[in-house]
Amino acid sequence: MFESVTSVALESALDGLALRQRAIANNIANVNTPGYQAERVSFEDTLAQSVRTGDGHATATTARSMEPTRLDGSNVNMDTETLSNIDTVLRYQFATQAASGTLNGIRTALRSN
Amino acid sequence: MPLDAIGIAGTALTVHRKWLDAVADNLSNINTATATTDDAFRARYVLAQAGGEDTGVYVAGTELGDAAGRVVHEPSHPLADENGNVRYPDIDYSEQMGSLIMAQRGYQANAAVVDRAKETYQAALQIGRN
Repeated sequence: MFESVTSVALESALDGLALRQRAIANNIANVNTPGYQAERVSFEDTLAQSVRTGDGHATATTARSMEPTRLDGSNVNMDTETLSNIDTVLRYQFATQAASGTLNGIRTALRSN
Repeated sequence: MPLDAIGIAGTALTVHRKWLDAVADNLSNINTATATTDDAFRARYVLAQAGGEDTGVYVAGTELGDAAGRVVHEPSHPLADENGNVRYPDIDYSEQMGSLIMAQRGYQANAAVVDRAKETYQAALQIGRN
């Protein structure tokens, strides 16, 4: 019950989103650091694939952005980072609500008499 | 050890505040005259460096501007030498004002990251609540 595809997939999603949140914080922290290359966290594709096969486990991978750099050598794009930051917060809230929904289902099943 | 989002944004707030301090110091001394026998006031430039593996950013050191500055003919100045010259720092006012805005915007952007990280943690605290 606790190891259902839904719970495991939600856990993987929350882990991936938390990792992305940290990567974005690091990117914005280094917006004025010469030579810094932005980090990109991806897990959605592997998670979707994993859910299709009935597993739900997915590990997030981190890569460096290959975007063209600015004159100071940093390639942090403030607009995309800010948008991605807000997007990640909303996705995280969505995933926590879904996780609560799953847990509430279990709670209801335990209470019924 | 990797920091969390709030910790990472915190390191950046420190770096940008130090940058603001350096720019403020440079601007406030832009008209500080010295005798030609002494060094001119040297502008301070903060060097930012990325910490490895999600540890934010830190100040790697500071670089000092030109000690020679520019020699100005001001015979009435109390520090003027026998030729009537004093030394002023060679600080580019526009460059400093540009840096001031960049440091301020960088500080604001990272303060916003703290807010959004807080929202994420608050969502995590709601897991399993009825």
